[in-house]
Amino acid sequence: MTAYPRENSGEMAAFERIMSQCERRVLRVALRLLNNPQDAQDAAQEVFLRLYKHLGSLDETRGCEPWLYRVTVNVCHDIARGRRHSLGLTEVPEPAASQPDAYHDAERAQQREIVRRGLSRLGEKERTALVLRDVEGLSTREVAGILGSSENTVRSQISTARLKLRDFTGRLLRRRS
Amino acid sequence: MNCSKFETDIALYAGGDLPPGRMARVEAHLGECADCRALAEDLRAEQALLGELRDAPLEDAMVAQVRQRVLVEVRRAGFSPRGALAPLLAIAAALVLAVILAWPRHHSGAAPRVAAASHAAQAEAGRVPAAAHGAAPLMRKLRHHLRRTPAAQPGPPLLVQFVTDDPNIVIYWLVDQKPQGD
Repeated sequence: MTAYPRENSGEMAAFERIMSQCERRVLRVALRLLNNPQDAQDAAQEVFLRLYKHLGSLDETRGCEPWLYRVTVNVCHDIARGRRHSLGLTEVPEPAASQPDAYHDAERAQQREIVRRGLSRLGEKERTALVLRDVEGLSTREVAGILGSSENTVRSQISTARLKLRDFTGRLLRRRS
Repeated sequence: MNCSKFETDIALYAGGDLPPGRMARVEAHLGECADCRALAEDLRAEQALLGELRDAPLEDAMVAQVRQRVLVEVRRAGFSPRGALAPLLAIAAALVLAVILAWPRHHSGAAPRVAAASHAAQAEAGRVPAAAHGAAPLMRKLRHHLRRTPAAQPGPPLLVQFVTDDPNIVIYWLVDQKPQGD
């Protein structure tokens, strides 16, 4: 096992390198799971503090992404259970598109917003599996490893989640058209 | 046609998660059911939108805030094992120093024995291997303590006289006294 360096300046350098590589990913997953920017920032902060504490025991050859995803999911679940935020529909504004006046872009952004709202209405396990599989693009096996579930369980969760999401988005899009 | 039993597999099929053994059955059904083809189409569109969420930009300020908070916390709390051990090492060093300083005062009764050993210790000090030079301060402290302790002076011999029934026989016994100042 090749551990990340822990001594002297190598420690902080390795930590900052990993953080700069993964901070957006961790924050993005936290945002999708918590649907609240403040909670997502708190979650990301906790994730990276845990990373720093465990840096010396992580295997560099395996990469720390699976570990980071797992800890992010756990921290987000803890925060969600602790705070029980009502899932507001407008809490996470999508950043403005580069060409907001373009009709197609605006329509697409609207569709993404509907999907994002649909995600926030899924149950915790289904949402987590779908975010990791369809938003993050991890394989079913990777998702199962992160969640500590079997691949069959993950397939069942993402299948249910996709159908629920399709019902939600279909209703809203039909209402708008 | 009852399509509900296909929905789960179609949801997996749309995302490329259907095990190969179930693929042919779903594709055969899609070939003959327009509603399920529409469902598969919706699910594929949904997949694309979910993928776009991954690429949606995050506000730089939001990312920077997290980074700032983490780095401040790491530097403030000294999370590393090295940082966590530093206070413990300081306490341990202080304890060792306190024991060394307090020891002569509370163990003055052992001075004669130490004094007896001191000549051997001083002789040995000249042969201390280089690796043991870390003990030099302790030895200096010990020598300093021995210099401060007055050398034990034996008192005059004690004369014990045993008188027997025979006036011509008297037994004298000279006994060395223990050093004074104990």
